[in-house]
Amino acid sequence: MNTPSSANQSGALYWPVQLRRNVGVRSLFAVVLVFLVAYGILFPGLFTAAGFAKFTQSWFPLALVAMAQAILMLSGGISLAIGATVSLGAVIAATTMAGPLGVAGGTAAVALTGLGIGATTGFIVVRLRLPAIVVTLAGSFIIGGAALLILPRPGGAIPAWLSDLLAGNTPAAFALLLLIVALWKLYLATPLGLSLYAAGENPVGAYRSGVPVDGARIAAYAISGLLSTGAGLFVAAQTGSGDPVIGAAFTLNSIAAAVLGGIGFLGGQGTMRGALAGSLLLSLMISVMFFLGFTPVAQYVAQGLIIIGAVAVPQFRKVQQ
Amino acid sequence: MTAWIESAGGRRALTVLRSRPFLTVAIVAAVWIVASFVSRGFGAYGHLRYLIELGAVIGLVAAGQTFVVIAGGIDLSVAAIVTVSAVSLPLLSWQADPTGITAILAILALTTAIGLVNGLGVALLRVHPMIMTLAMATFLQGLLIIVAGGSAVTAENPLVHWLGNARPAGIPAGVLLWVVVSVIVLTAMHATSLGARIFAMGANPLAAALSGVPVTSTTLTVYGISGFCSGLAGVLVLGMNGQGYVGIGDPYLLASIAAVVLGGTSILGGRGTYAGTIPGAILLVTITALITVVNASPGWRSILFGSLILGLLLLSGREQARR
Amino acid sequence: MQITAPLLAARGVSKSFFGNPVLRDVSIALQPGRVHALLGENGAGKSTLINLLSGALRPDSGTIEVDGRAVSRMTPAIARQAGIAVVQQELSLTASLSIAENIGLGAYPRRFGLVDYPELAARAKAACDLVGLHEPLSTPVGHLSLGRRQMVEIAKALYRRPRVLILDEPTSSLSATETKILTDLLKRLRGEGIAILYISHRLNEVMSLCQHVTVLKDGTCTADRTLEGTDAAGLVRLMVGRDPGDLFPRWQPSASPANAISVRNFSAGLMRDVDLDIRTGEVLGIGGLVGQGQEDLLLGLYGAIPARTASATVNGASGLPGGVPKANALGLAYVPADRKREGLHLIHPIITNMMLPAFARVPALKLRSRRAEREIARGLAAQLGIKGDLDRSAQALSGGNQQKVALAKWMPHDPLVLLLNDPTRGVDVETKREIYHMLRNFAAAGKAIVLLSSDTPELVHLCDRVAVVREGRIVAMLARGALSEEAIVSAAMGAGQRKVAA
Repeated sequence: MNTPSSANQSGALYWPVQLRRNVGVRSLFAVVLVFLVAYGILFPGLFTAAGFAKFTQSWFPLALVAMAQAILMLSGGISLAIGATVSLGAVIAATTMAGPLGVAGGTAAVALTGLGIGATTGFIVVRLRLPAIVVTLAGSFIIGGAALLILPRPGGAIPAWLSDLLAGNTPAAFALLLLIVALWKLYLATPLGLSLYAAGENPVGAYRSGVPVDGARIAAYAISGLLSTGAGLFVAAQTGSGDPVIGAAFTLNSIAAAVLGGIGFLGGQGTMRGALAGSLLLSLMISVMFFLGFTPVAQYVAQGLIIIGAVAVPQFRKVQQ
Repeated sequence: MTAWIESAGGRRALTVLRSRPFLTVAIVAAVWIVASFVSRGFGAYGHLRYLIELGAVIGLVAAGQTFVVIAGGIDLSVAAIVTVSAVSLPLLSWQADPTGITAILAILALTTAIGLVNGLGVALLRVHPMIMTLAMATFLQGLLIIVAGGSAVTAENPLVHWLGNARPAGIPAGVLLWVVVSVIVLTAMHATSLGARIFAMGANPLAAALSGVPVTSTTLTVYGISGFCSGLAGVLVLGMNGQGYVGIGDPYLLASIAAVVLGGTSILGGRGTYAGTIPGAILLVTITALITVVNASPGWRSILFGSLILGLLLLSGREQARR
Repeated sequence: MQITAPLLAARGVSKSFFGNPVLRDVSIALQPGRVHALLGENGAGKSTLINLLSGALRPDSGTIEVDGRAVSRMTPAIARQAGIAVVQQELSLTASLSIAENIGLGAYPRRFGLVDYPELAARAKAACDLVGLHEPLSTPVGHLSLGRRQMVEIAKALYRRPRVLILDEPTSSLSATETKILTDLLKRLRGEGIAILYISHRLNEVMSLCQHVTVLKDGTCTADRTLEGTDAAGLVRLMVGRDPGDLFPRWQPSASPANAISVRNFSAGLMRDVDLDIRTGEVLGIGGLVGQGQEDLLLGLYGAIPARTASATVNGASGLPGGVPKANALGLAYVPADRKREGLHLIHPIITNMMLPAFARVPALKLRSRRAEREIARGLAAQLGIKGDLDRSAQALSGGNQQKVALAKWMPHDPLVLLLNDPTRGVDVETKREIYHMLRNFAAAGKAIVLLSSDTPELVHLCDRVAVVREGRIVAMLARGALSEEAIVSAAMGAGQRKVAA
C-alpha cells in the first residue's frame, strides 16, 4: 500500500472530537444553567462557600451513581442493583473505618467490594449471556442481603474527621468529583475505554474489528460497581453511620439521571457529560422541592411526574416535527 | 424406538419434551420430590395446595408481565399496582352492594387505567418502558402514603374474603381464579390475532408497524392487561391476607419478572409463552417456602432467594444471541 | 504469475451447519495483484467461504493457507496479523464515534497506554484520502449517509494496510460517483500487488474490474477461470446452471389514464412540495442518488411517517391515509429495502411472517385458524417458489427467499398499489428475474407499482415512467421513450437541469 502521506496536515483530532460530543447535550446544558441561576436567585446561600459545599455534597452521590449507570448503559447493559450496592458500600465503610482497618483499609475494602461485585455481575451477564435486567434484579437481593448481614439495623460509625472533610464546610466533594471526571476522561482515552462505545452499539462489528468486546463490557461493570460503593462510602460519611437500606432510592434516580442526560437504552448512545448534567438537574429539582417544604411523600409524586415529563417532552417535540 | 422418534407424533412429543415450559415443569417436580424427602411435611397435599395458592398471586401478576415482556417492554410498576389495589379496595366498601363486586370492579377499572397510562407514555410519548413504569411506581408509592397513611387497612368486602379463603370442592378459590385467567391468557396469546400482533411487535416493532399492526393500540392493550392482572392479584392477596398495607405488593416485582424469564420467555421480546410462566411462578413460591424452612435471618433469606434465582437462570435462562 | 504462492487460499474446504452441507470441497486462491470475483446466487455459500478465509469460522475439512503455508487454526486475530481485511455487507461501524475513531477501532496507535490521537489522525486521513472521503475526521459516523458509511468501512479496511482485501457487495449502497472512486481505487491497489476478492451481484462491475472468477453454485465450485473471453450471459449461466434468458420481461404498455394516487404539494421527511400522479397499471420508477428523499416519498404515501399535502387522492379516497393500517385498508402495501430490520420478523417462522398483515387486519379477538393459515401460506409458497419447511424461522432463508416472503405476505390482500423500496438489493439473479416478471404481471393486472431502485438498468427496462429525485424534489419525469441510463444518471446528478413533462 502507499506510504502515509499528508501526515502533518491532519491537525489536531482529539479536541474537535470532544467538541462534537457537546452537540447533543447543548440544550440540556442550557436548561441546567437556567435552573442553576434560578436556584441561585431563590437561595442566594448557594454562592457562599458553605452553601456551595452543601450543594455539591447533596449532588455528589447522585453524580456518582449516574456515572455508574451511564457507563453500563453505554456498554449496552443496565443495573437494577445500584441502590443495593450503594447500601453495601455504606455499611462496609461504617463497620470497618472505625475499627482496626482504619480509614485507608476501609476505603480499600469498599473499593475492592465494588470492583468485585461489578466484575462478577459483568462476568455473569457478558460471559454467561444472561439478561442484565434479571441478573441485576436478582443481584440486588444478594447484595442487599449481604448489607443486612453486615449491619442488620442502622449503626456503625465513620470517623468524625472524615465526615468533616467530606461533608463539612469544605468543597472536598466538588474537588473529588473533578478528579473522578478527569480519571474518566483518561479512561476514555485508552483503547479499552474508547472501545466501550463500539462494544455497546455494534458488538458484532466491534468484535470483527478486533475490539475485546467482552473485556470492555466487564470492565464497565467493574467500574460501575466501584462508583456505586464509592457513593455508599460518601453517603455513610454524610450521615456519620451506616444504614443497610439507605441506597434504595438510587436505583431509580441513577437511571433517571442518565436518561435525563441523553443516555439511550440501546448502548453507545449519549455522553458522560450528559449524564452528569442530568444528575445535576435532578439534584437541583430535589433541592428545590426540599426548600419549598415538600413532604418526602410529595417529593415522590413530583419526582415521578418530573422524570416522565423530562424524558417525554423532548421525545414529543421530535415526534411533532 | 428410532421409528417412534421418526414418526410425526413422536417428533411433536420430542418438541414438547425439549421445550422450555416443560423444562420448568420438570425442575418444579424435581424440587418437590427432593424437598418432600428432605423436609417432613413439605410433600403433604395441604402444603402443596398452599404453595399453589401462593403461586396464584405471582401467576396473576406474571400474566400481565408475560404479555408486556413478549411485546418487547417491561413493567416495573406491577408491585405498586398490586399495593394500590390491596390498599384502596378496603376504602371502597359500599353498603349498597352486599356482594362487594362493584368495589372490585371499580378497583380493577382503576388499575387498568393505571396500566393504560403506562401504555400511553410508552406508545405516544415514546418514554422507555423501564423509565415510564419505574416513574409510575414512584408516583404511586407517594400517592399511596397520602391515601392510606402508614397503617394497615382491613378488608370487609365479602367477595374478597371469599376469594381469599373459600375452597369450593376442596380447591382454593384463588387457584380457580388463576386457572380461569390462565385459560383466557393462553387463548388470547396463542389463538387470537391480538396475540400474533403482540409477538410480532416484540420481535421487530418497525417491521410490525410497516405490516399494518396498530402499534399504539396494541401497546395500550398490553399495559392495560398488565394493570388489570396486577389489580386482580392485589384483590386476591388482600383476600388471603385480610389486610392491606403499603408494601404488600413489593415481593411481586422480582417474582413476576423471574417467573416470566424462568418460564422461557425472552426478555428481549417476541418469544415466549404463559405456559412457561405458570410453572415458573410455582417454582418461585417453592423456593421461597424452602428458604422459610431453613429459618434464616432476613439477610440470608434475601441472599438465598437471589442466588437461587440466579442459579436457576444459569440452568435455563440463557439467551441465544440475536442478529 | 501463477509461480508465486497465493497470499491466501482455501484448499478443498467443506463446511456444514446442523448437518446441511453449505460448502463442498471448494478451493480458491487469491494471487497478489489480481482482482478475483466470487459469484454465486444467494445461499450458494459465498458468505461462508469469506468467513472461512477470514477465520470467523473453521472448516470441517480442507485447509486454509496463508502465503502457501497451511494454517491449522485460523482465527480472526491470525487473519488480521496476516494482513487480511474484510469489508462485510453488514457494517461494523459505531454511529457515536468519529470517522477517525471508527477507522482505527481495534487497532489504535498507542502512546503511554493512551490512544495516540495525532498519529491516528494522520493514518486515518491517509486512508480517507484513498477513498475520497473528505468530511472532517471528527464527524460522528451517525451523521453520514449510508453510502458514505460504506466508504468509511472501506477506509477502515485500508487503514490496516491489508495484503488481502475481501469486499462483500461493497457497492450495494454506493452512488455512481462513489462506485467509480472505489473501482479506480481497487485498480490502483491491484497495481500495488494487493490480492482482492470482490463479491457483487452487478455483473458489469465484475466484468470491468476483475481478472479471475470463481463461481459457486449450491456449495460447490462450478468455475475457477480467468474472466478473459467470458461475457455477462456466460457468467449468469455458470451461476444459475442454465441459460439465463432475458433478465427483464418484455415491456408491454398496460398503464391506464386513471390515477391510483394523486398528490399535490406533498412533503414528507426530505421530500418538499412534490406533485405526483401514479396511474393504475403502470410501473413508476423512482431513481436518483442514494438518500435524496426517495424513501421518504414512499413512507409518506404509506402513512408511516408524517406527511403534508395540499390535496391528495388515494384509490378514490381523498386525503392521505395518515397511518399504516389505514393505508392498508385503502389497498396500499409497502415492501421495505432493509429486509432484516424493517421487512421480516427473523426469529419467527416463515408462516407467521406471511400471515402478519392478515393478523393486523382482522378484529383483534378473532380466533385464529391454524389450518387455514397453513393452507394460505402453502399456496403463497408454491406461487412464489419458496421451498422448504414453513415452520423454520425466517433467518434461515437466503436473501432472495427472504425478499419473496416480504412480498408474499401482501399477496392475499390483493393490494391496488405496491410501494417497493429497492426490492432486488442483494438478491440473486434468478430471484431478480422472478420478481421482475411478477411486477410486470401485477401491472398488467391493473395494479399500480412504485419501484424505488438503486439499480439503474432495472429502472430503464422495467418502468413505464421514472421520476428522478434530487434534494427532495422530483427533478425529472422521464417517459418510456426518453428512458436511458444516461438520462437517469444525468438528471440525478443535476447535469443539464432539464425537465421532461410527464
